[in-house]
Amino acid sequence: MAPKKGGANKSRANATEEVEETLQAVVLADTFETRFEPFTLDKPRCLLPLANTPLIEYTFEFLANAGVEDVFLYGGAHSDQLESYINESKWRAPSSPFKQFTYLKSTSTSVGDVMRDLDNKHLITGDFLLVSGDVISNLPIEGALAKHRARRQTDKNAIMTMILRKAGRDHRTKSSSVSPVFVVDPTKDRCLHYEEIDHHSPESSRLNIDTEIITTHSELDIRQDLIDCNIDICTPDVLSLWSDSFDYQTPRTQFLFGVLKDYELNGKTIHTHVIEGHYAARVRNLKAYDAISKDIIARWAYPLCPDTNLLPGHNYDLRKGTLYQEKDVTLARSCVVGRRTVIGQGTSIGDKTTVKDTVLGRNCKIGKNVILDGAYIWDNAVIGDGTTVRRAIIANGVVVGNKCTIEPGVLLSFGVKISDGVTASEGRRITKAPRDEDGDSPASDPKIVGAGGEGYEYVPYEDEDEDETASNASSGLIYNMAHLSLSTESISTLSSEVSDYGGSRSGSFATSVSDDEDQDTHFVQDAVASVFDSLRDGVSSDVVQLELVSLRMTANASDHEVRRSVASAFMKHVAQSMEGGQAAGDVIRETFRKYHEIIERALFDRDSKAKPDQVDLLVLLQQDLVHRPRGDTVLLFAAKELYELEVIDEEAYEQWWADERSSNSEEMRKVRSQTQQFIDWLANAEEEESSEEEDSDEE
Amino acid sequence: MPSHSVPLTPGLASFLKTLKTNPIDTSIENLISLLKRRQIRHSRSCATATAHLLRSVISACRTSDASKLIERVQSVGRRLIAAQPREMVVGNIVRRVLGLIRDEAEDDRDGDFTLSEAGSESQPQTPRPGDDPFDRSVSKPISSLATHPVSMFSLLSHPDSETSLPGTPATASPSGRLPGHTPNKDIRAEVLDGINEIIDELGQVDDQIAAYALDHIHSNEIILTHTSSTTVQKFLLKAAAKRKFTVIHAESYPNNHEATHATVSGKAPDDDEIISTESFQKPLIAHGITVILIPDSAVFALMSRVNKVILGTHSVLANGGLVAAAGTRVIARAAKVHQTPVVVVSGVYKLSPVYPFDFDSLIEYGDSSKVIGYEDGDLVDQIDVQNPLYDYVPAELVDLYITNLGGHAPSYLYRIVSDHYRKEDISF
Repeated sequence: MAPKKGGANKSRANATEEVEETLQAVVLADTFETRFEPFTLDKPRCLLPLANTPLIEYTFEFLANAGVEDVFLYGGAHSDQLESYINESKWRAPSSPFKQFTYLKSTSTSVGDVMRDLDNKHLITGDFLLVSGDVISNLPIEGALAKHRARRQTDKNAIMTMILRKAGRDHRTKSSSVSPVFVVDPTKDRCLHYEEIDHHSPESSRLNIDTEIITTHSELDIRQDLIDCNIDICTPDVLSLWSDSFDYQTPRTQFLFGVLKDYELNGKTIHTHVIEGHYAARVRNLKAYDAISKDIIARWAYPLCPDTNLLPGHNYDLRKGTLYQEKDVTLARSCVVGRRTVIGQGTSIGDKTTVKDTVLGRNCKIGKNVILDGAYIWDNAVIGDGTTVRRAIIANGVVVGNKCTIEPGVLLSFGVKISDGVTASEGRRITKAPRDEDGDSPASDPKIVGAGGEGYEYVPYEDEDEDETASNASSGLIYNMAHLSLSTESISTLSSEVSDYGGSRSGSFATSVSDDEDQDTHFVQDAVASVFDSLRDGVSSDVVQLELVSLRMTANASDHEVRRSVASAFMKHVAQSMEGGQAAGDVIRETFRKYHEIIERALFDRDSKAKPDQVDLLVLLQQDLVHRPRGDTVLLFAAKELYELEVIDEEAYEQWWADERSSNSEEMRKVRSQTQQFIDWLANAEEEESSEEEDSDEE
Repeated sequence: MPSHSVPLTPGLASFLKTLKTNPIDTSIENLISLLKRRQIRHSRSCATATAHLLRSVISACRTSDASKLIERVQSVGRRLIAAQPREMVVGNIVRRVLGLIRDEAEDDRDGDFTLSEAGSESQPQTPRPGDDPFDRSVSKPISSLATHPVSMFSLLSHPDSETSLPGTPATASPSGRLPGHTPNKDIRAEVLDGINEIIDELGQVDDQIAAYALDHIHSNEIILTHTSSTTVQKFLLKAAAKRKFTVIHAESYPNNHEATHATVSGKAPDDDEIISTESFQKPLIAHGITVILIPDSAVFALMSRVNKVILGTHSVLANGGLVAAAGTRVIARAAKVHQTPVVVVSGVYKLSPVYPFDFDSLIEYGDSSKVIGYEDGDLVDQIDVQNPLYDYVPAELVDLYITNLGGHAPSYLYRIVSDHYRKEDISF
């Protein structure tokens, strides 16, 4: 690292002399999303193959194409795998087009952390490109960069230029459920407002534009037709802005939105550069994976095509009918290889097999009478005779037996074995990866993979996966359908909470949620983050209290929201500790004993007869637990503990049980079912208590 | 703010600039990735880059042993060709350099053996002074052809005999290696001179071709052309200096129309790829030539009035067929129907010894979005779009080739091929 530091200093010296500015780029290898699970349990997502070339190669190719000389690569999950890959790649070789290549490991959990870390390290000397490790583009950056620099010369506050690709109304490469909306002043290309519209939730599918924006600008473009490929040209000011606002985590929904909103405050402007030629897209989810694979095969991203052979060992050749084939492919005489197909080296295809719209990796063995249609099959997979695979992803080393049916949307992760005659039903995700940190992997589920198969159905953890919404709501929907791109920008673990409240997961919450405005959700999000972190770190309850109060003051949040965030944070903490192997009862006792004051402070109805606040809290807890594993048990323990700590009174429990909110849906009833015994006990205890009191009186 | 003297996007200019400073392996990798990324395209740019690279490779090579040099150039050449097999000029230049090395090695040996036969044969070959603009290897066989017409017939009957002509006794070993014999002078210097000549040739080729313009373009003719080829433009400009004629220019949509429009209207194309930008100083219209820009679809309708079709090309194949910008075949066909002569102007460096057994494999498919906008989501999702960059035009549709060596019939090209490339290098 030492010589690199030296290099950085040198280039900084250059920059100050303004002789010639080297273009730097920051690549975020991990975007802190979980949309590629279960594949990302084994491999960093930027190493997942797209048309048989790892994603990150396309990004580097784009940077090299753009003439970038310094690259800072931020690794995230599986950073050791990424590092060893990078070290062996041509980008680290002396002949690499990048003069400096710095690999930075980080423990960050969000883009915001990465940016702040970068700011602390003082590595960035001038304008830089910020891209994620899954960008695919053939755009020469010159034009945008020249405009950016020209703008910056006249106005120091023009800190960032976003590169956006125009893409009509409906487009396969755009995410279909959440569309980013840019409000742009076309005279200056200045972005004035940014919002994401979630087509799945009726509440957020409208746009709130500040009246001031409309009154002060004579011309406004409101554009929803843009592919946001997350290529930003930034000045170092951007980093300091990230540092200033320590709670920003996501580059778009929070940073961009926040900076634009605070224009009055900081005076920084952000600009857009809309390109109409060239290709630019980001593999943001599996739907985009599908779309971009097709784009690359159909040469929309030319020259980034399979036959460009980006990787040194590749030798793809374009044949008739958009068929890309490497050397040493064995095709049986009677097999039919249709259009838009990529076949890697060493792959063999058996008799009477039909292959179409499919990407086949290297050394795959495809049996006889197989039908492959729209499948993505990575290296070393084996597909048995008579099997049908449609629109599914089959990862490295998967073995699918004879006469299986892999339905659309199935994801088979690394090394899974499916035995003969099994049907993997639509949308199922099967993995073999260990789930816990201690490396245990759940036993194979013969119901899913058949007798002798390996793998179990992957169900994402609630608290770290926003896709959970998708998998719950949509058993049977295909990965390339809309739901997987829900909450496109949600990067942190927290936004999953928000999207839960967004009403998209089930109609039953809509009543309690629909009146929430954006600001409130921000508060809830922040507060949940703050409280949750404190609980995890074991900060004293006073401190937590103080933070919560200050957050509440700044956001002018209602008591209901405070309770909501507290309930959510507590339950999240509990759920996480339980995953760590602790018993539900212990965790809850420990947490609530230590922090019950926080809850108490959110309740203001101690002395009144009606207990709306306490009931509200219980309902919120119940709502939160609907979607957590073993929510019913947790609710029982929590109720018991809160009662023992005298946080919540008996009357409140009665009122809660009677409250229609707590029983207005099947899920809610289910989650509270176990608590029934507690309520019964409570009713009995009341009687006993009164008798005890009588006893004590007597003594 | 920093001055942007260097174009940010890497290309030929940046490649040549860094060639001197970078280690040779870096430069090789650099060129490979530039070729892969299509940041160097157009035949001339590819040829120039290849020639410059090979010059560096040879000067960095610490051996003067011809066989080692050949091996080295072959290995570099293979990688370059693998990077972009459809840019055939890369292979052509590599073969020419290989031929140079072999020639030098053999000359060397001939000197040692004081072989009178070969010596006497080579004497009349170099009557011209050293400032001969033509490449040595070009001029030599031509004049040998003139002095020994017999050799041509012997070539026809025994293809092998041609290669064995210059050094009959020694070429028994095809690689030009003479075991146990260390050359007493450094052949590298000679080879480097030869490469410099190739580079010079690349710079001058258009002017040399243009020198034949007045023989082919006559007053009041109507000429049809296609694409923004520099060679064609120079050819026409040369004729325009003396004669008045009319040019009909097909716009070659969608891959070259912008450059074509710029060429016609005389706006300087800001294309860094073409080094000799001074060639674009004046458009044809400034010389008082009527230039009519037409869409490609109108070619057939106008063909009946056209006296001559002049085409540029991407590369020329050994059988006289050519790989040229998409749309060329349509024009050539239309010309055939109307019995209009088709003249192809091309530098010799574009002439490839490759025989097109499978011409589909020679055609590159480009960016689909030039045909249909990528923003049209419905279409993108439902149709297959193909944008071939090149057409294969069979030899029978071409009437005349004009190279820097003069005019040739397509059936004669094999001869130029065998003059320029050694047989052992054709598939190296």
